[in-house]
Amino acid sequence: MTFETSRRSFLKFLPLAAVFASIGGAAFRFLRPRLSAATDAWLDVASVSELTGPQPISRKIVAEQITGWAITTEEHNVFVLPAKNNQVVSAICPHEGCEVAWEQNTNRFSCPCHESYFAADGSRISGPAARGLDPLPARVQDGKLQVQYFSKEQATRA
Amino acid sequence: MRSNTGIHAWLQTTTGIVAVLLAVQFLTGVLLAFYYVPSVDHAYTTVSFIEKVVSSGSWIRSLHHYGSQWLTVFVFLHVIRLFWTSAYVTNKIQWILAVLLLGLVMAAGGTGYSLPWDARAFFSTRVAEGLVAGLPFAGRIARLWVLGGSEISTVTLSRFFALHVLVIPALIGIAVVWRLYRSQIAELFGSRDAIAAGIVFLALAFWTLKHPAPLGPSAVEAGADYLPRPGAQFLWLYQSLKYVPGGLGSVVGVVLPGIVLAVLVGLPWLKRQRLIAGSLLSIGVVLVVIMTTAQYFGDRRDPKTARQLAKQVAAEEAWRREPFTPAMITLAATSTTNATASGGAPDMYTKFCASCHGSHGQGAQQGPLKFPPLLDVSAKPRRSIDDIVGLLKDPTAYGLQPPMRSFATKLTEEQMREIAGWIVKLKR
Repeated sequence: MTFETSRRSFLKFLPLAAVFASIGGAAFRFLRPRLSAATDAWLDVASVSELTGPQPISRKIVAEQITGWAITTEEHNVFVLPAKNNQVVSAICPHEGCEVAWEQNTNRFSCPCHESYFAADGSRISGPAARGLDPLPARVQDGKLQVQYFSKEQATRA
Repeated sequence: MRSNTGIHAWLQTTTGIVAVLLAVQFLTGVLLAFYYVPSVDHAYTTVSFIEKVVSSGSWIRSLHHYGSQWLTVFVFLHVIRLFWTSAYVTNKIQWILAVLLLGLVMAAGGTGYSLPWDARAFFSTRVAEGLVAGLPFAGRIARLWVLGGSEISTVTLSRFFALHVLVIPALIGIAVVWRLYRSQIAELFGSRDAIAAGIVFLALAFWTLKHPAPLGPSAVEAGADYLPRPGAQFLWLYQSLKYVPGGLGSVVGVVLPGIVLAVLVGLPWLKRQRLIAGSLLSIGVVLVVIMTTAQYFGDRRDPKTARQLAKQVAAEEAWRREPFTPAMITLAATSTTNATASGGAPDMYTKFCASCHGSHGQGAQQGPLKFPPLLDVSAKPRRSIDDIVGLLKDPTAYGLQPPMRSFATKLTEEQMREIAGWIVKLKR
């Protein structure tokens, strides 16, 4: 192959390179992820009058977030801790994000995935989790306990 | 057989152009699939999302849309070029694959047209249903198989999607690989091919930058006066169907093209090849040119049609300026949203207001667009129930900017009063 022909055979792929470069560049922008925008709405958890006793109380809250082309309304489990001045903690394990359950007989939260354990006040007892259950911002309004919901990703981003 | 000099060499670059346009279709198709959802309740939303929110989305979709039309034209020219050089004698496989590719590219265009599920997609699916149902003998069964049931439904859309993104591309892929296997790339893709393909791609890229792919109103929102028009590669069929009585439509639209393709595929084994293929191709060219021209001028001659089409274009432009309306997805077993604190939102609020202002007035953000929350809005001046009703009728009178628009024609006085009465109770 002479120099002349090898240069020409290289040049003929330039238009092809242009195709892939222009669509490839657009593809990067096209596929770039969009951060979900959680709303900072205050969500009702329960009436304060219902929240009594030493045990954590499991409640479901319904939160909205804008995810891509949809506004997704999703249910999340939280625990109210009446013994700790009605603090609300997320049920998401701070280790890998499974949902912890309250074990009444052993008086602790346990994570079904990797055996992290948390005390009744949400603090870490043992297992791979690096910290206790994440508290959510809470307030009392008109006799109702309300929280703002943040996902694990948002809680740990700060 | 390839000429190496002069105009003949340039006329033979259709191979390279078709190869590059196929690559563009594959690349852009893969990208679109990252957002598109083939279901009747989300298809239109996801295509709108690609058009309005995703960076370069409108260009990628336009490349795919117009690319498919250009591809059809160039595959057709490719077949004519092969006929010219008697490839059905000298290179039978190449000839057969080219004819099959033409059929596959048409099929891809036909199935792809249904996917955005806008009004024209819906009508195109209806026409496909009618054409298949009208087939002699097998029509009834074929219709059920195409639709996946007795009516057009979300299952139909899934079928068109599977055919469009899996079955047809796989068959095209087999044809391309077979073609590459039979010859050397260097022989297939010369310098002239590269130049011609580069020019065609540049032209397509600039055309699509200026012209976004059309998207009509969603299938549910289209008015009864909506005039659907198919893609450019099917205008000949659209126009032909006007001239033949009902039952014969399937013959013109499916049986005859099928027979023509079958004869062309079998051409290497037929006698009088030049005569048969020559007449079929020239009849095809004449028919397509006449019908497409008739369609083009027909739409412009009739003032009523022209007015309606202009109205549709204006409506589409207005739609492009509106912000994207996200879909609502509920992943909750209990239906107790926070809105119950101040009473559930009125249905009309959920329908018209919630996508921007949130299901319980908390506001929202879409990219650079911020939609104001409505919580505590009654504490502001000029936001009594009467004011909010007035504002819904004429937002500019209250100093509000688009995208907030007037709902005077969409809501009754009573509905506006119900929404306003609910909004003033919203507290932070």
